[in-house]
Amino acid sequence: MISNFSNAGMKEKNSATASTLGRILATCSKQAKDYGSCVASKVHEVEKDICLKEFLALKNCMQHTPSLGSGGLSHVYIQNPSLRCNIPESTGLFYDDANRLLICTTSSQVFSWQTTPFNPEEPPLVDSISEGPILSIRFSLDKNVIAVQRSDCEVQFFNRESRQILSHKCKAGSESILGFFWSDSPLCDLAIVKTSGMDLFAWDSMLNTLRLVEAKKVNVNWYIYTHETRLVLLASGLQCKTFNGFQLSTAGIVRLPRFEMTMAKSEPNSKPILLSGDLHLVTVYGRIYCLQVDREAMLLHLYRFYRDAVVQQGSLPIYSSKLSVSVVDNLLLVHQIDAKVVIIYDLFVDSRAPVSAPLPLLWRDYQGSGTSSQAANKENESSESSTSNENIVMYEDGWTFLVPDLILDQTNKVLWKIHLDLEAISASSSDRTSLLEFLQRRKLEANKAKQLCLGIARAVILERRPATQVSQAIDVLVTAYSHSVKAGTYKEIKNERTTATTPTVGASPDNERHGPSGSNIDEEVEMNVPSGSGENMFYAVEQQESHLSSAAISPDELYKFVFASVEEMMVEESEYLVAIITEFLRSISAEKLKVDLNVYVMIIRLLAYSKRFAELSLFTTNKIIEPSKEVALQLLESGRQNLRVRKLGLDMLRQLSLHHDYISSLVQDGYYLEALRYAQKHKVTSVRSSLFLEAAFASNDLQHLAAILRVLSDLIPGFKETSEYYTFYGLLNETSSSVAV
Amino acid sequence: MVMASMSSGSESFRLCVFDLRRGQNEGQELDKILFFYPPDLTFSTQLSVIGLSEGLITFTRLFSPEAACEVIEAERHSHVFYEAESDIWMVMVVEKNKEIEAIWRVDALRRMLKEVHSLFVMFHGSIRALLEKEQTGGLIRSHLYPFITDYLNDLFVGKKLQLPSFRETLKERGTVQMLTLARDAALEVQSLVGVLDSCVGIVRCHSVILFHDLLVSTTLSPDDTVDLFTFSVMRLTTNAQSSGMSSWSYLRKGSTLSQITSRSTSAQLLGSTDPLPSGNGNNAARVIRPLQHEKWSKGKVGFLVTDIWGKDATPTIWLQQTQERVYLLTYQYKSLTLVLLVPTPAIVNGELDISFVKHQVIENASAKILKVEEKLSKGWGGENAYHVSGYRYLLVDNDMEISRASPPGKVATLAKESLLALNQLREEVDSEKSRTKVERDMEISIRAKNNAWVIARITRGKELYMALEKASETLLDATDSVQRFSNRYCSGSFSMD
Repeated sequence: MISNFSNAGMKEKNSATASTLGRILATCSKQAKDYGSCVASKVHEVEKDICLKEFLALKNCMQHTPSLGSGGLSHVYIQNPSLRCNIPESTGLFYDDANRLLICTTSSQVFSWQTTPFNPEEPPLVDSISEGPILSIRFSLDKNVIAVQRSDCEVQFFNRESRQILSHKCKAGSESILGFFWSDSPLCDLAIVKTSGMDLFAWDSMLNTLRLVEAKKVNVNWYIYTHETRLVLLASGLQCKTFNGFQLSTAGIVRLPRFEMTMAKSEPNSKPILLSGDLHLVTVYGRIYCLQVDREAMLLHLYRFYRDAVVQQGSLPIYSSKLSVSVVDNLLLVHQIDAKVVIIYDLFVDSRAPVSAPLPLLWRDYQGSGTSSQAANKENESSESSTSNENIVMYEDGWTFLVPDLILDQTNKVLWKIHLDLEAISASSSDRTSLLEFLQRRKLEANKAKQLCLGIARAVILERRPATQVSQAIDVLVTAYSHSVKAGTYKEIKNERTTATTPTVGASPDNERHGPSGSNIDEEVEMNVPSGSGENMFYAVEQQESHLSSAAISPDELYKFVFASVEEMMVEESEYLVAIITEFLRSISAEKLKVDLNVYVMIIRLLAYSKRFAELSLFTTNKIIEPSKEVALQLLESGRQNLRVRKLGLDMLRQLSLHHDYISSLVQDGYYLEALRYAQKHKVTSVRSSLFLEAAFASNDLQHLAAILRVLSDLIPGFKETSEYYTFYGLLNETSSSVAV
Repeated sequence: MVMASMSSGSESFRLCVFDLRRGQNEGQELDKILFFYPPDLTFSTQLSVIGLSEGLITFTRLFSPEAACEVIEAERHSHVFYEAESDIWMVMVVEKNKEIEAIWRVDALRRMLKEVHSLFVMFHGSIRALLEKEQTGGLIRSHLYPFITDYLNDLFVGKKLQLPSFRETLKERGTVQMLTLARDAALEVQSLVGVLDSCVGIVRCHSVILFHDLLVSTTLSPDDTVDLFTFSVMRLTTNAQSSGMSSWSYLRKGSTLSQITSRSTSAQLLGSTDPLPSGNGNNAARVIRPLQHEKWSKGKVGFLVTDIWGKDATPTIWLQQTQERVYLLTYQYKSLTLVLLVPTPAIVNGELDISFVKHQVIENASAKILKVEEKLSKGWGGENAYHVSGYRYLLVDNDMEISRASPPGKVATLAKESLLALNQLREEVDSEKSRTKVERDMEISIRAKNNAWVIARITRGKELYMALEKASETLLDATDSVQRFSNRYCSGSFSMD
């Protein structure tokens, strides 16, 4: 992906953006100059982030430039409408990640909003519970029970139907409750983490009681858990960097090997302590990672979780002591909170380079963006709430980042969803091949990614990029399609074809939304089925996700929206286009896919246009152009300029046993005797006898006419009695009396 | 003396090139002669051969102005005529003798003349153009002499000049032999061609790719392809380079010793005895001899190098179809030979640009070349890949100028009678073809003395010749065999009933 920060803005073709940039550069000329000279001085060192200090200074200046408002550049944005918790006298805001509920509590009531699908207009559900302090609150997975942690030794359970209340207390003094979560593993329904270990309980809904199933004894300083990963990490040790991990999945409970996180030391004797806020569990492409912030080293360490191992997989540099992460569409967003920028990483590729330059998170009004905007009711909404939106401060202290892609603004009591701006990302990327790979991996806004891919494919051809580059791009698209076919998303692509012609319509982000977050759970379930070796237990085939659509582009679509659409513009450069289509065919054939016949017809047209008949016959004899009736007819058509090509078409008709067309073409070319012989041999009756007679008569060769009359009268019983016979026999005798029939 | 082949220098073989427009005045007859072989014949002998030929041409033109005489069969000699360019004639005189090996097909001999002329034009441009460039004729003579002698050199086996006899009747000079490709291999090849096409940028480069001695791909017109293919198989392919290795292409004999080259001093002899003042000195010294033997070798980066065009100079050739001069770069990887033709306008800074192009090729195409070679090697059936058991055949596609034949080793197993009958049959077809001029269908089956069937089928530009020695008695069975062959290997092109 791109690395050069300057790309971020420079590639924007939008003139409005350009003027904004101009304004910024005028204000921040010194910083811009510093950054520029830094880049210039190190231009030979092909390395990312070398001028980051200068860049951040420039960026800081840019952000403080007045009147920039929300029109700046960004790759990640939050947008109206947000989910507002306008509950008076609210005492706390909680997020139940298992049920994806935003929960707002008052002294006696619980308001809960469904965040998936993200629909801010939906009213909250209201439950009442008894008064008391609330440290945390979670609904059971069947939502029948609300569990509330009242203190460090008590959890209360409210049955929403029977209104029964159960209190669970631990041994006061010797241990305290750190937290709890519901589980869907067959073994237990609830896990309570205490300083002395983790207790697993089964919930009996009939009796409304808890039954202890298993107790994991271990000293715990703090723990983290996400329902998305079903993974609980229990921190212990003086530095809190020793971890015991369990995965409570539907397949059972998996105990991870004990492992330690690495932490750099500022001084030999210092012992930094790891905080729970420094650890993030994320799921990308069905893999589970744990991200650990190491403030001393200013690094974000990545650990990947396998069934039997935890493997550190590189580190990302960080530029802020406060840090948070989100995952949108399998991309890792690292929020550098102090610097107020977000950096996007795609962990699919081995490279740990960011997908794009660090840019601020942007707040967008609904209509202000290039994203698919929805109907009018949204506009009403935004005007209504715009007054309160104006005082949004990015990355203010009250923000909480929720798994995987939500931001809870505690001060304003607003919940935002994080969006990616694929257009901006692709506009700022210069490496088309990796950009296409990147876009093909996008699932959330698959249709937009697809449209962008088609646009890029068209652009590389129209810009006449070297054939090797274009073929790389085509390879990316074709292999992506082939993978999606093999993974079974093929049908969805077919369904999607209708939308392909009308881009962006009906592709509201909200509609697309409920796919990935919901399915990550399913996929988690899938991948924990203990199957065979299972070295990659934490790896789930991402294609199994049941999304509405995928960005994959079928060969037919590639033909229709890329090749056919550029043909007219490229007709003078048909040689180049033929080379590109050849690459396309090679790619298709390597993946054993089928291609639209029109591609072949197009190649013939292009080759004939540039008079490359020798190559045309090579293409045909080598079956690069696969034989078909359409192809044969195009060969005959293009063969008007070249007899050899016409013969290729004729041969193809014969080989395909298209008797009628073959005979008609033979007669057209004056081979009527052969045509007649052929018709007799293959018993073709669809060709009228007059066709031969007329052709022979037109050729002015009376011997031929006589021969044909003779043959026909021998072959067709009663032919001598037909009017045809008399007509031509008469003509024959009129013209010459010397030829006897 | 062994009569099977012609001893050079004897009366048995003569080849001359002359211009009817020159030397029309008495005393200037020598002016006509542009080339004569053997060169050490007296001028009076040379003039008598040319005078006879000229007389015959003038005489036959009275009846057939468009196509004058093609062959004169005298009692002891055959005179084969070929009008290479308008009024520029090539005549080959071969001695008839009773020895059976000296039976040839006139058209095969004429194709030799055509071939040497096409190659000459490819390297030096047309004879007429060179004559116009230098009116005295010295320039053209100094070019023709080494060129044709180098060409004839290839036909020497020991000290004998071997002309294409009836034993080569299942071969067709002036055609290209193609490698049959599977679709995936063809796509890889075409992808490579695409890369080669654009290795100079905007200007398109032509390319010809060979595998062993077979053509894999071409972007040239059929005529240019034939010329370049012929030259490549003669000098450039790996088989051509590893001389001494037995070749299965008709284009190469096992000649290593260059008999004529050893006498190449006589080139200067001719030049100096030239009655006209030019033709010697500077011109002669700078004459390039593209057909010289053993002058090509593999350079460091995989490109073939030669000093024929001078030290570190890149050869150029002339394309007929586009009428442009192009640089000829040859890249070789294992048995794969890539001939890249770079238009001269694309090369501004001479060898500097050439080495840039080479660099581009290596950088952009190496991976593809490797892949293509791998694919082709995998599908390569060896020298006998196109052998069809029970058949000895020759398949010619006149439209594409392509031919395919039984491998020579298999043809050699045919009885002499079969070959002679086939030769005669071909002679028959040749004369029929030259009589009608238009494409027509033909079918001839002959029972040879040894009871073999020799069969010819001509249909719309395609020709099939076949010898069936083990076919059964009846004509019906023989034609059935042809039918089967046609359906199986010619996609039914020759199915006539």
